[in-house]
Order: sequence, then C-alpha cells, then structure tokens
Amino acid sequence: MTFIIPIGPQHPALEEPTHFRIEVKGEEIVGVDLRLGYVHRGIEKALTERPYAHGFYLSQRVCGICNATHSLAFTRAVESVAGVECPDRARYIRVIDAELERIHSHLLWAGIAAHEIGFTTLFMLLWRDREHALDMRELLFGNRIYATGTYLGGARVDIEQKHIPQLTRALAELEKSTKHYIDVCTSDRTIIARCTGVGVLTKKDARELCAVGPTARASGVDFDIRRDDPYAAYDEILFDVVTERDGDVLAKVVVRLREILESIEIIRQAIDAMPKGPIRAKFPENVPENEAVGRVEAPRGELMYYVRSNGTNKPERVRIRTPSYANWPSVRPMLVGGTIAEIPIVVASIDPCFSCTDRVTIVDAKTGKSRIETKEELRRLRK
Amino acid sequence: MNVNEVARLIKRYADEVKIVGTRQVFAATDKERYIEALAALRDNDLKHLTTITGVDRGDTIEIIYHIHCGESLLNLKLALPKTDLEIETVTDIFPGAILYERDLMEMLGVQVRGHPDPRRLFLPDDWPKGVYPLRKEVKK
Amino acid sequence: MIETLGYIFAYFVFPGILFASAVGLLFMGIDRKITGHMQHRIGPPIWQEFLDVGKLFCKEDVTPAAANSFVFNFVPLLSFGALIAVVLFLPINSAQPVLTSVADLIVIIYLLNIPAVCMMLAGYASGCPFGTTGSSRYVVQLFGYELAFIIAALAVVAKAGWSLSLSSIVTYQAQNGWMAFQVALIPAAIAILIAAQGKLLRVPFDIPEAESEIVHGPLTEYSGPKLAILRIAYDIELFVATAVIVVLFFGGPVPHTIGGVYIPGVVGFLIKCFGIVVLSTLIRNIAARLRIDQALKFFWTFPTLLAAISLFLVMVV
Repeated sequence: MTFIIPIGPQHPALEEPTHFRIEVKGEEIVGVDLRLGYVHRGIEKALTERPYAHGFYLSQRVCGICNATHSLAFTRAVESVAGVECPDRARYIRVIDAELERIHSHLLWAGIAAHEIGFTTLFMLLWRDREHALDMRELLFGNRIYATGTYLGGARVDIEQKHIPQLTRALAELEKSTKHYIDVCTSDRTIIARCTGVGVLTKKDARELCAVGPTARASGVDFDIRRDDPYAAYDEILFDVVTERDGDVLAKVVVRLREILESIEIIRQAIDAMPKGPIRAKFPENVPENEAVGRVEAPRGELMYYVRSNGTNKPERVRIRTPSYANWPSVRPMLVGGTIAEIPIVVASIDPCFSCTDRVTIVDAKTGKSRIETKEELRRLRK
Repeated sequence: MNVNEVARLIKRYADEVKIVGTRQVFAATDKERYIEALAALRDNDLKHLTTITGVDRGDTIEIIYHIHCGESLLNLKLALPKTDLEIETVTDIFPGAILYERDLMEMLGVQVRGHPDPRRLFLPDDWPKGVYPLRKEVKK
Repeated sequence: MIETLGYIFAYFVFPGILFASAVGLLFMGIDRKITGHMQHRIGPPIWQEFLDVGKLFCKEDVTPAAANSFVFNFVPLLSFGALIAVVLFLPINSAQPVLTSVADLIVIIYLLNIPAVCMMLAGYASGCPFGTTGSSRYVVQLFGYELAFIIAALAVVAKAGWSLSLSSIVTYQAQNGWMAFQVALIPAAIAILIAAQGKLLRVPFDIPEAESEIVHGPLTEYSGPKLAILRIAYDIELFVATAVIVVLFFGGPVPHTIGGVYIPGVVGFLIKCFGIVVLSTLIRNIAARLRIDQALKFFWTFPTLLAAISLFLVMVV
C-alpha cells in the first residue's frame, strides 16, 4: 500500500512555498508530483507594462538571491535589442558583481544543504563566511542582497580604488575557508554517508531533461554560458568550467564549492584587468522594433531573457526562463527510488528557487482558495 | 556548433534564416516541418532545449523554440494563426520540454497534442476556462 | 507517617520532580549555550529552557480533531511519570536510592523505554503522516540502540559479581575504582555513550524527529502544556540517561571532604553527569544526521560489538 506525504506549501525543509505530493511505500519513494504557483506575481506581464528603466528594477525582483544576474540578463537582452554597446570598464564591474553574487549564493546553498542533512554547525559556519561576500557587495554596490552593479547601458556605480584592498582581503578569507569546507565535505564520514549515491542524476538524464547549471555540471555535462555565450568581460578572463562525474548530492556540493574558488580567481583577474574610462553609455528612451535573447550563467544555471520591442518605451513581450524552472523535471528521477530521508537534501540539491519558477502568472485573489483546498487535502490524509 | 553550421543545418527546414551577431540564429519554420527540424537538431547531438517562448502577435501566436547549440543559440519560430492553435508535443524529442509546454498551454491557450501531463502548472485550479493571461486581450 | 512524608518529599522535591526537572532544564540550557558557541553564535542564556517551558505552559492547548484521543492526551504524563520513577531508583546522593527492588537495573531499563514507547504511541495516535513516519523510525532506532545499551549494562553487572542492584554496583566501584577504568570495560563504556546518543535522539541519531524531513516527528501535533510536559520529560531523560551511565561506569555518587567541608555525593554526581552531557553536545555538533538504515546498521555493528567484547572479556578472562 502506498500513501502520500505532503511536503509544503509550508514545510521546514522548504525555504519558500511549494507543494510536493510524494507517494511512498514505507520509506521508499515511488512517485512525485509537484504543484507550483504559490508565489506567482505575474512579472512577465508586468514587465510589458513598464518602461525599460522601470522594468530593469522589476527584473531584479524576480529572485531574492540572484538579482544581479537577473538584471544582467535583462540588460543584455535589452541592450542587444536597442543596439547599445556597454563601455569596457562597466563590463568588468558586471563580472565582479555577478561573481560576488555567485559566491554568496553558493555558500547560502551549501549552508542549506548542511541544514537539510542535520549538520547545523556546518550550516552556521558557512553562513558566517558568506558574510564576507555580502559585506563586499555592500561596500561596492551599496546593499547586501538587493544591489546590482549593472544598469541599462553600463554600470550603476563605479568601483573605487580605495575599496580594492578590502575586497582582496575578503577574497583571501573566502578562499581559505572554502578550501577548508571542500576538505570537510569530502572527508566527514556522516556527510559522505548522507550524500554519496543519493539523488543521482545520470549524464543521460541531465542532457535529456535539459538540466542547467551546477545540477548539470555535477552530472558531467560541460555546459556554462559564461564560456559558451560569453557576456560582460568573460571572453577576456581565463577560468575553468567545473564538472564532476558522479551526479549525486556530494558531486553537486563539490561542484558548487569549487565554483566559488573559480569565482574568486575571476574576480581577482577582473580587478587587475579593469580598464579606466566611462562606466555608462546613453540608453535611448524608445527602442526600435527588434527582438533578442540575453542569456547569462546565474548561480543556479542558465538564465534566459527573451525581449521583443515595438518602437515604444515598453517591451512588447518579455519571456524569462529561470534556471530553477529548467531543473524541475530532473527532480523526479533523482527522488524516485530513494527514501523519505533523502527528500530534503535531494530537492535542495538543485538549489531550487521558487520565486524564480513561479514568476509567470497573474496574482489573483483566488489563489487564496487553492491554498485552502490544499489544507483540506491534508486533513483528508489525516483521517 | 557555430552560427554558420547551425544556419546550414536548419536551412532545409526553415525560411528566413538570419544570423544575428556572432552567437545567435533566428529562423522561421512552419507547421509541416518543425517536428522534423527539431528531430534533426536532436540527431545532431543538440539536446538542450533552453525554453519555449510564446508571443502573442495579434492575429497569430508565435512559438519560439530556443535551442542551445554549443557556441550558439538557435531561435526557431513557428507562427500559428489564432484560429488553429494546435501543435504536436515535442516531449518525445526533448523530454525537458514538459513544463514549458504546460506553461504554453495555460498561458497562451495553445493546444499541445500528445502531451503526457496536460494539467495546469502555475495557475490555480479554479482559474476560469478560456482565459489565457499572456494573451493581448487580457487586461487588468 | 514520617516514612510516607519522606517518600512524598522524595517524589516531589529531591530527587524527584523538582530536582530532576531543574537539573534537566539546566543541562539542556547549557547544552544549547555550548551549541551556540560551537556554531559561532552567542546562543541563548542558560536559563532559556525554563523560559521556553514556562511560555509553553501559558499557551493554548490546540489538539487536532484527528489526534484527540485518550492515548494522545495521556502520553505526556505517562512519559514524565516513568522518568521520575527512574530517578527514584537511581542512587543520586548516596549509594542507597529512594526505592529499591530485587533487580533495580532491569526495572530501570524497562522504565527508560517507556518514554520511547510513549513517543511511538503519540506519533501513531497523532494521525499525521509526519508522526507516523517518525514513530516507525523510532521503533527501528529503539531496536538499534537498546541492544548495545543492554549488553554494555550486562557487562557491568557481570563485573560486579552478577548483581542487578545499583547500590551494590556503586559500592563495588567505591572499593575497586570506576568501571570505565577497568580495561575489560572500556569498550562497553564507549558503546553505552554511543547508545545514549541514540536514546536521547541527538545528532547523528536524531532521525525520528528530523526537523528538515518530518517536521518534528511524533511531536508534530503537540502544543501548549502537553508539549511543555514532553519537553521537561525529554530534559529529565537527558539527565537520567547520563545518570545511569555515571552510576554504571563512573562511580556514582561519592561524598568528599575537602578542607574540612563535607560535600555530599550529589555534587560530584552532577559534575560527572554534566561531563557526559558536554561530550554528547560536542558529538551532536560535529556530525550530520544519518539515515535510519545507516543508523541501524551502525548500532548493530560498532557499539554492539564493543559491548559484546567487554562482556566476553569480563566473563571469560
């Protein structure tokens, strides 16, 4: 006999609301169903009702963690629609911005993963070191989370020379602690017991289900937009695309932690190579009719914005495809056959961002009703 | 695959092949050929469907398949008149398209034949039938 | 009459409800403080556990309709009562406990399992999938740690000349030194410390109430005063489990006279208990949670084997 364990919409293992219905036989998972839509805000539609300059700020609000990459992707698409060239110095500022974000996002994720397997101490320590990245964002761009260095046609703020020594120091700290955490995660026996061979996504599945980002790279898929479709200054910077072969949770942990080391190197190169000059080009108010796709490598994977303009100051259509959205189909093969104990860590292993996934629809007072239905479902289960 | 190779490959299945910049190809196909085109891409080891976009262009709905081709990105367009909004599923070619097609069905009202799981994705269960939020006629 | 009053005092004040609760809550508070420091946080003040329990007592008691049954409501008190009974059987101040029976140790092992059984009943009675899953995990875990626990205790019993009375085990240690320092019994001491970690549901064995997987396991549906009683019961269990280990392996209560001042046995006893609590806190902060199958495999191999080696050494050598 199977019975259904509801996970969410509110659940301690989930940072944001979503609803899984996990069909289990004893402890074994035999089926997974996913219900999205609890944080719908209708952003795609809202973007078409605002001028580009306002849409830029709205695009940051798609996601609370990767707002810099969202604004970067939006800017990239809009700039190619409008045919605006970004000045050289601004391209480097964008790289530093995006990589600082990657560092803090990956450390945040690693902390959550540690929490999901019950390793609270590691969780707290990872988040302590994440503070270095957040402090640097505050120093350079003015805010810890909702800050971006990007702006339409260039950079929003310049990086001042006097801040560089502090940045270098923070990077050294981060490098030291990240190396230590890689060591811990690959040697601690309880972590290995919980993470190896769990939630395996084979390379074949990863390619067929179009997984992106660290989720795909942990399964050996060599795919990184920073290299395949370079933007900002990534074509002038040397870096490796980190891949692992195993595709299990441990591989996903290691891929992300090693990417932090790559990011630190990228920032160092960007600081050294950053030319002097203006940081912003003029962006026209009305954009001629055109269309373009802007892709960037967000911390969670390939992020895509499609923008179609119509000659006015508002876009005709904006399509956002976030990395979490692309990774959802991969969760099923990772969960089925596992046990209940594996649900949190496996779901967390794709680093899901529900706000990102749920950005499309229009919020309606009626959404409240679907919530109540879910509660009734829960009650039925109890009887 | 770089843009020229992609353009050469897709030429047989599409018109108006247009190379934009060094990394992007736009092409327009039609209802007869798009399945063949996608299958041909898949057979050339281009297995990553970035997403499917639907755009309401007034009388037509334009569906864009964005396919990641290594060094470049192919945007394959398919225009459908609003009177005949039915397409075949591509989930047998790209299994990762499963959520994008559900999204397309509920947001723009495109009927996808043969989809394995044609339920709603984001919209609440009691969302009125026949109202598609990303259509132009839907106003606040 | 005096004797009855003595029992009432023992039950309610020392070493019963008042004393055991105070010690248990304090130990838990210290545990949380140490955890905070290990995690690079300031941590709550050490009396935080008193405040938490006090707050829970003041809260409304919400019981879901599906869970509202005699079992669900009665279980907290049963669990609490069983633990207080264990305290009365333990030699806490002197070698002589308040209550004795023919075979103290067996009674204690049985009584110590009552809270575990209560938790299982609570989980199954709560009518919630998290509780049910938690309970079934608890059953498995109980069979895991209990084997090691009993064999380790048996090794001590064998060493003390097959005496099941705790006071004679304490007396034996007063004459021959702590059991933990007898070469043959070192493996058993390690085994019982690991088993206690499982008994107290602490990381890496907090599987039945793994918060990120099944919310709070059997306790998910409890709230208000019932939850408060369960919390106190858990804190007393922390004290009692360490106390049993101290009695069996670390000499139990020994009164001292330092500089002409008489220090009753209970002081040394509590210090030893505290040492074990700190050790357990350290372990719980440097590990991740295991899966239930991994935990069972671990319990039945490593600690059980260690305990069995001790028993063998004691009986044969």
